[in-house]
Amino acid sequence: MTVQTTEGATPVTKEPPPSGPDSRPPGEAAPRGRRSLPSGWLPYLLIAPAVLALTVFLGYPLVRNVLVSFQQLGRMEMISRATVWTGFDNYVELLRDDAFWAVVVRTFVFMAVNVALIMLGGTLIGLLLNRLGKAMRLVLSLALVMAWAMPIVASATVFRWLFDTQFGVVNWVMRSLGFAGYEQHNWFQTGFSTLAIVTLLIVWASVPFVALNMYAGLTTISGELYEAARMDGATNYRIFRSVVFPLLKPFFLITTFLEIIWVFKAFAQIYALNQGGPNRESETLPVFAYVEGMSQMQFGVAAAASVLTILILIVAMSFYFRLILKQEDEQ
Amino acid sequence: MRRKLIAAIGVAAMMGVAACGSDGGEDAQSGDGDKTLTVWVMDGSAPEEWVTELNKEFEAAHEGVTVEIQTQQWNGIQEKVTTALSEDAPPDVLELGNTQTAGYAVTGGLADLTDMKDELGYDTWNEGMLPSAELDGQLYAAPWWAANRVVIYDKSIFADAGVEPPTTREEWVEGLQKIEDETDAQPIYLPGQSWYVYSGFLWDEGGDLAVEDGDQWKGALATPEGAAAMNFYEELQSFSTAPKDTDEATPQQSTDIVPKGDVASWIGLGWEANGAIAAIEEAGGEADFGYFPVPGKTAEQPGHVFFGGSNLAVPERSQNKELAQEWLKLATSEEWMKKYAEATGGAALPNSQAAQITPEPGSFAEAMVQSADVGRLTPITPGWANVETDPNPVKQYMTNVLNGTDPKKAGDDADEAITERINQG
Repeated sequence: MTVQTTEGATPVTKEPPPSGPDSRPPGEAAPRGRRSLPSGWLPYLLIAPAVLALTVFLGYPLVRNVLVSFQQLGRMEMISRATVWTGFDNYVELLRDDAFWAVVVRTFVFMAVNVALIMLGGTLIGLLLNRLGKAMRLVLSLALVMAWAMPIVASATVFRWLFDTQFGVVNWVMRSLGFAGYEQHNWFQTGFSTLAIVTLLIVWASVPFVALNMYAGLTTISGELYEAARMDGATNYRIFRSVVFPLLKPFFLITTFLEIIWVFKAFAQIYALNQGGPNRESETLPVFAYVEGMSQMQFGVAAAASVLTILILIVAMSFYFRLILKQEDEQ
Repeated sequence: MRRKLIAAIGVAAMMGVAACGSDGGEDAQSGDGDKTLTVWVMDGSAPEEWVTELNKEFEAAHEGVTVEIQTQQWNGIQEKVTTALSEDAPPDVLELGNTQTAGYAVTGGLADLTDMKDELGYDTWNEGMLPSAELDGQLYAAPWWAANRVVIYDKSIFADAGVEPPTTREEWVEGLQKIEDETDAQPIYLPGQSWYVYSGFLWDEGGDLAVEDGDQWKGALATPEGAAAMNFYEELQSFSTAPKDTDEATPQQSTDIVPKGDVASWIGLGWEANGAIAAIEEAGGEADFGYFPVPGKTAEQPGHVFFGGSNLAVPERSQNKELAQEWLKLATSEEWMKKYAEATGGAALPNSQAAQITPEPGSFAEAMVQSADVGRLTPITPGWANVETDPNPVKQYMTNVLNGTDPKKAGDDADEAITERINQG
């Protein structure tokens, strides 16, 4: 480290500072800057409400959830108020259960498909927003905001009715267009078709977030960069790959990260459309935990399933965390 | 700073995955001299005027006591009752479905009424209703009412097609075919998951939903009887445009389907028939219903039916246990059961022969009483209540077979789930 401390203390020195043109001494400036921030109890007081709320509403249920996952807790134990500790029995039972692993695989496939579609659709609409004229941009933005603002259960209910077997508009449209076989067509007959409709619902509701953020990000890219790229003869795709994407990389990373978490924990959409049915074939991990717990009153198993869900998600996301942190370091 | 922020968002978002809420606050009883007795009854069980009169008499005999009736929906009732029974201040009297009573009795959540047997008139009770109220020789509930399904038909559509009420399965199917050929109406409305109807067909074949296997139980749908019953169900269902993956309550057949018209017949309970009549009249029409028992294989005996019904029980933790037992005693007494039978027009069988009224000719009750002798219950074991929780394996079995799965394979899947659940404590 340099010994040079303060600028101008020795004006007679003709030698340039050894640390180069940057005259700010790194060892000293940082602590001096912090001195202006409040110290003592004030920061803790300010952060206390947030910590308290998190502890009460997330921390406590989480701890209870972990405790319950080591218990047998059903109708019997609830009513007789007995606490029956069973160690890792619930976990062992789940990990040996083929049905559980089928749910895990389904959850990841479902998530991957949804996130890919959301990011693709959101990016394209974001680019479109950037190129549209003022009036159309306003119209499109409003449409996006409305889709984004629609309450989940309300939109799920609407979708349920759109695809209803007896009275659904979609069957009517298909018939009117002349397709055969849509008299009483059951869109929820298989787990796959149910999840396909859920995907449509989730993608529709999630694209606005990505699109609007994408547009916000694009406005920060100066027009000169595009011009320069064009002068060099770059195609539109090349501009996206070499100009837009690198500049907006943090945006893509954090948005994908959030979408992964949101899709992973999507519950209301799946449950409201078909309760995880038919034959439990459209259950993802959160729905599986809910059905085991609330419907079948096997709260111990359900708690273990949700703990495993968190662990799986943490492992899967740790890779992503590292990517984001690396990205930060590069900047 | 940004890195920390991103990390914080990530952690918060992930914790959101695990956050699941549960609530179950029951109104606490008021502590002062005046007492409120809370009674949970199920939707459609307690006729308004009957329960009002009953409470008036009870309140007159017990000064300072107010009885509050809270009507509950069948949908999701098990979760609700379980939560209520685990509370310090549960309702004081509960109506419990007869298939579910044993499941609660075994938990110790219900007060033991064995000492009150004589007071309650145990010896006069209908023998078919009693088994569901008892567990291991102890009495945990008083039978209240029971009912079974009959076929409800539109007289004018049947007349148009020239079809008479059938007495055998063969006549039944022939009649439905005739209605299909000669009218525009849907011959029968039968959704794919009407599993109490299916149970009746299963009993007709000599099968059952689950059978005892040593000291355990096991599912019994993957049997020749199960397949034969499903075969007949499928034949009937082919006359219906109802969805194959819902039960009779979604959409509610009595109020959402039948009043829209063009349904020649459907299988339902007394309160459903009344609901349909009310809905039709509200829309300015006039219901013209006839009733016949679900036909059996021969004309000698009607088809088996599920003997659905309810018991009244007092939660062990009730804050007003003695008062609650008094109310239960009054409600299930012969006098009030007789009034109950009158109030329901015979659509629900009261708990004793003595309280029964003679049904009017051509009424729902008349058809219902004919098959009451062949009424059956779901397996009497505490674990049965677990089988009925969603997703109900019997319903899934039905939908799978109707959609073309081999009955044996669908039955094996269902039996596995039934066996696992029925043996759970």
